[in-house]
Amino acid sequence: MEPLTWSGALGAFLNPLMLAAVAVFILGFFANLALTLAGQRAGEIVVNPDNTLTEIKTPVDYALNAMRYAVLLFVVCCLGYIIGGIALPTLEAKGIIGAMAARLTPVWIALVVTFALSITFKRRLGLYGKLFDSPIGMIGFGLVMFWIFSSVFAGMVATHGPIDVISQMRNEVPGSPLPTGEDGLYPYYLLGGDNLGRDVFSRMIFGGQEVLKITPVATLFAFMVGITLGLPAGYFGGKLDTLLTFIANLALAFPVILLFFLLVTPEIVAAGVPQYMSMVLFIFPILFFAVLFNSRFSIQPMKRNILLALVLSIGGIGYMSLISDASDPDLPLIFRLWPEWLDLFDIQGNILIVFVSVVFVNSPTVFRIVRGLVLDIKTRDYVAASTTRGEGPWYIMLWEILPNARGPLIVDFCLRIGYTTILLGTLGFFGLGVSPESPDWGSTINEGRRLLTIYPHPALPPALALMSLVLGLNLLADGLREESLKD
Amino acid sequence: MTIHPRTHLATHPVAEMYADEYKAGKLSRREFMTRSTALGVSAAAAYSLIGLAPSTAQAQMATPPMGGSLRIQMEVRALKDPRTFDWSQMANVSRGILEYLVESRADGSFNGVLLESWEANEDASQYILRVRPGITFNNGDPFTAEDVAANFIGWCDSTVEGNSMAARMGALVDPDTGVAREGAIEVIDDMTVQITYPASDITLVAGIADYPAAVQHRDLIGTNPLDHGIGTGAYRVTDYEVGVSARLEKNTDHTYWGEAYLDEIVFIDLGQDPAAWFAGAEAGEFDMTYETVGEFVDLFSAIGWTQSEVVTAATVVIRPNQNNAPYDDVRVRRAIALAVDPQVCLDLGINGQGVTAENHHVAPIHPEYAELPPITVDKEAAAALLAEAGQSDFVFEITSIDDDYRRNTTDAVAAQLRDAGFNVERTVIPGSTFWNDWTTYSFSSTNWNHRELGVIILNLAYRSGVAWNESGFANAEFDALLDQANGIADADARREIMARLQSIMQEEGVTLQPYWRSLFRHYRDGVINADMHPKFEINVHYLGVAA
Amino acid sequence: MGQFILRRAGVMLLTALCLTFVVFFLTNLFPNLEKLAKTQGNARMTDAEVVSWLDRNGYGGPMIVRYGEWLGVAPGWTREDPETGRITGRCIDQGMDPAEAPRFCGLLQGDLGYSTVSDAEVSEIIGGRLQLTLILMAWAFGVMVPAALIIGVLAGMREGSRTDRSLSTLAIASTATPEYVSGVIFIVLLASSTAGLSPILAEWGWIDSRTLFLGSARSAMEEGVTFWNFTLPVMTIALYGMGYIARMTRASMAEVMTAQYIRTARLKGQSFRNIVLKHALRNALIAPFTVIMLQFPWLLTGVVIVETLFNYNGFGWTLVQAASNNDIELLLACSIVAVFVVLVTQLISDIGYVFLNPRIRLA
Repeated sequence: MEPLTWSGALGAFLNPLMLAAVAVFILGFFANLALTLAGQRAGEIVVNPDNTLTEIKTPVDYALNAMRYAVLLFVVCCLGYIIGGIALPTLEAKGIIGAMAARLTPVWIALVVTFALSITFKRRLGLYGKLFDSPIGMIGFGLVMFWIFSSVFAGMVATHGPIDVISQMRNEVPGSPLPTGEDGLYPYYLLGGDNLGRDVFSRMIFGGQEVLKITPVATLFAFMVGITLGLPAGYFGGKLDTLLTFIANLALAFPVILLFFLLVTPEIVAAGVPQYMSMVLFIFPILFFAVLFNSRFSIQPMKRNILLALVLSIGGIGYMSLISDASDPDLPLIFRLWPEWLDLFDIQGNILIVFVSVVFVNSPTVFRIVRGLVLDIKTRDYVAASTTRGEGPWYIMLWEILPNARGPLIVDFCLRIGYTTILLGTLGFFGLGVSPESPDWGSTINEGRRLLTIYPHPALPPALALMSLVLGLNLLADGLREESLKD
Repeated sequence: MTIHPRTHLATHPVAEMYADEYKAGKLSRREFMTRSTALGVSAAAAYSLIGLAPSTAQAQMATPPMGGSLRIQMEVRALKDPRTFDWSQMANVSRGILEYLVESRADGSFNGVLLESWEANEDASQYILRVRPGITFNNGDPFTAEDVAANFIGWCDSTVEGNSMAARMGALVDPDTGVAREGAIEVIDDMTVQITYPASDITLVAGIADYPAAVQHRDLIGTNPLDHGIGTGAYRVTDYEVGVSARLEKNTDHTYWGEAYLDEIVFIDLGQDPAAWFAGAEAGEFDMTYETVGEFVDLFSAIGWTQSEVVTAATVVIRPNQNNAPYDDVRVRRAIALAVDPQVCLDLGINGQGVTAENHHVAPIHPEYAELPPITVDKEAAAALLAEAGQSDFVFEITSIDDDYRRNTTDAVAAQLRDAGFNVERTVIPGSTFWNDWTTYSFSSTNWNHRELGVIILNLAYRSGVAWNESGFANAEFDALLDQANGIADADARREIMARLQSIMQEEGVTLQPYWRSLFRHYRDGVINADMHPKFEINVHYLGVAA
Repeated sequence: MGQFILRRAGVMLLTALCLTFVVFFLTNLFPNLEKLAKTQGNARMTDAEVVSWLDRNGYGGPMIVRYGEWLGVAPGWTREDPETGRITGRCIDQGMDPAEAPRFCGLLQGDLGYSTVSDAEVSEIIGGRLQLTLILMAWAFGVMVPAALIIGVLAGMREGSRTDRSLSTLAIASTATPEYVSGVIFIVLLASSTAGLSPILAEWGWIDSRTLFLGSARSAMEEGVTFWNFTLPVMTIALYGMGYIARMTRASMAEVMTAQYIRTARLKGQSFRNIVLKHALRNALIAPFTVIMLQFPWLLTGVVIVETLFNYNGFGWTLVQAASNNDIELLLACSIVAVFVVLVTQLISDIGYVFLNPRIRLA
């Protein structure tokens, strides 16, 4: 079989158009630059004496318009590839881009549905809805949702398994067909094979799944820790505040990279240090929810008791399952007491370490942010009002202050997921990642980097994927910030 | 005892027999050279035995101009007592100070360095070593037979932890005391040493040509050469920063017995990542690689460097350690061997740069190699065997170093085991920590350098309880056969026993050993005598750069 | 002011003590010591032999005492060999007469110990490596800070304009590109003789050497920094840090531009250029200053990645080596330096903030 071309049958028609769009954009940009430097200004709208408006156009406006249309044309071409990819009958006609677009069909559908619903009901959706007023925010949201949906539908999108090896496909360029005799498999490696003959495209998709499985949860844990400690520190102040701030500064002063290296050392793992850390860190979510419900329903003992019992039992079992692993004889005794039949899941050693270090690195910063917000909010009138009402301090913190601090916290949450993604990649880069064959982006970049100068194709897709996800999160955060400030 | 009168082209009856075999096409030239020079026949004499003029046959070394400076990319590891060296890189630096009695050349022949000549008796149980006259240490002491004997005693001392020379000395070591046997090493006169084995042994010369056999001053056995700097070599170490660089400079206070050309050699450590080496080469940071691997062979050639290749018995073994369950069960080990196709490992691991092997760690280029029926790969049978052993659910953790070809080969093994229905997990350990317990990982990969004889490898790595026995293999029959093989000078006679030894290796599933590597080195134009050596040896005394 | 600095310094000292103890604790856990014993002594020691080796080499005492010895506040251990009568001790170097050896030898006395892997004094190793990293850091800062400030000021002076939008997006994109992504892309594009721009440029005869830039900074260590060997590492570090500072500057600039006194100046008819340079800039740079100082610790991670990627044997590289080789004393020294850098930059940022901000006056 012939290898696939990048653009397939549509290429003959769309490629020149796209090139033209790019050329016009660049020309427009330089024309604009030159004109601006030469002192030309963009046109203005002038009010005529007869109360009509006239728009005076200058060459700058024409240049800008040309750029605008070029971008539009480019976007249309991209859409053309996607639609063409889905519509065209054979893989050869689709080309690599078209075939990828076709594989991503479930993602497109989900994205279209999400956007359509959100934009239709955006006035009723609060801050989330307002996001759709900001183009930057929408682009960011789109990028993030693209990766979320592609991880959700990874099984349908990916063409091969993440660690399936076809040795003949080693380092093959994008669009290479599988050797004959491999029946029942997708007949091409869309983005080529890596140095072990695994499909780069599928690894990128599964890598996203890997990353999105870890980072949001880890960030969420960091937030729980930061919030549970930051609220009382800011609210009560005094000695407690001094102590907690000191500890947070201590953790912040600890060089991240040193911490990683220390935590993944086999000896330190054998001594159970990550386990002890997880023991401390993972108690906070339970604490958080327990206090949350307790403060809210303290006047309805029945409801409170039920909720507390639920939190404590579900949280307790989850917590114990998380930190204990009776089947690992190397662990200190304390982590092997929990009976195996109650141990719902064991977290693979490396994931736990990555998780713990990421939570540990992020939570002091969250603590500082929360503390700062509380210091600000607690002077507001509604806090004073609820104090007069006789509400308990925890109720005020969790049900009065926290909801009003949500804006900056949500923004920071988005940014922090991006940062955590980068951290995870850093770990992978030093070979300290999730597991050696894991398709997560950091590890694949690290593996691909070795042969980068001859075969750039295994390293570039995960690198660009990581960039686009982080960029999406940052843009989303930016959009959210802008919209939340408009209040 | 018969000592053949030493004339210019002294030969040995067995060597003459080898020559006939060579002429009859039963031996390759390489095998012939290895075998006959090991018996004390000079390379020139050996060539003349088979009717070749040495000057045309031997890879003739050029004579470089005097002076110049050369930078070599190589890992710089902390030096220690040479007997305990575990990396040829260490010896490449120390070779500037500490020389060897004998060296092995890329064509398989042995060549005297500090020894002028050596002779074996007919059954190869007694060797006469003659010291090259006129050699002095750089502290002024003459190099004599006393030094040779002292070094031999040091090498035989198996009580020194990590002394891998003791294994190479074989029966010279008294198993009861752990040191040299009484009377095994005798100083006959100032210039002559006699080595006597209880039974015949053919590995002596190969053993003392290996990199841990650096010759120290008689009073300094067991010390780190970096601490005293005393040796016979033409150089001295001026800088030594582990992991960064090492610098050798010609020792002008010392009259070297031979010729040394370069004024300065710098070893530059660029880590273990070949991508970094390549980046360094493009940045012009060195003139010669220690070794070029995988895809980088083509890359280095593409930027115009000269390629030097040598076919060797260097390899990678992926071995279960039998001291760990479930690898103590032969069925599990057999199942592993059945599931892995060496060809796939060769393709994925080293880019096909080599030939497939048969899981017994004896190479076709070894003189005593016995051809066995080809190994079978049968994934279903493997799965069935695994199920029979009751280990279908066991999670196999395969450890490897974090580098290019070793890691890829191990990944290829993991993928094939998965294909056969094994439950496999991979662990990758950074190069710097990997070697701390390389012999004890439960299932891991290790690279092994080239050795001249098949028995040498088996003695080093698979005899019960030896220092480098990483597979935990302990088999009385194997040991007994190996003892027997060690005593047979004639490779053909040895081959029968080797066939049995090799098939024990396969039947017991001791290790996966999928391929033999071709080794590559690259250097810039103008670097002289830098050709690849099967055992990665770099003799700084030979190197030079064109003016 | 003096009291403020004193108090800050006190807290800093306490933090340093706590952190070094944590690192000391983590690196001196029993499994680490066991590994040390086995690599230094021999690989097949029994458990009892390990304990006796540790005892002999001064690792036997309680952790807190050993920490004291390492700090130099507790006297170094000494031990007499019962068989030979030879006295060994922490403060007794090889060949030194035990009677003449100092009683204390730790951090406070300037003795950082001995690196087991490199076979050399830790202080010698750290000193040289730190110098190399300082050179790299200085260049990275020299590029990053001015570029970030210019971008931030340009973007922030007309908030919402097209310049602002494009520069802000640029800044966001730069924060989304970690060093290990940008470094890799730079090498392919600019420092490979088989891919990217270099072969094209070489073919056109625009460059004499094989590549446009060097993909390895090693030659900078011996032959000094040149444009060819240092551009890529510096760019890689600077790019990632730049976006953050630029965004902070933009935010701060945008805020200042809406302030009353700027409006007044505008109404007075001052030129826009004058307003930005004379009135806005000084106040707009207070917040970025703190951020820049706090950026130092972040740079540390970047330095480790870049030094590994470009083979520059500086401090970051040493840290990686020490951590992965279980080189306890070297790792401790590295962490001391890292913690020191973090704390000092925090202190400077605090003091600078107070110093620059006219609204804060300390008694």
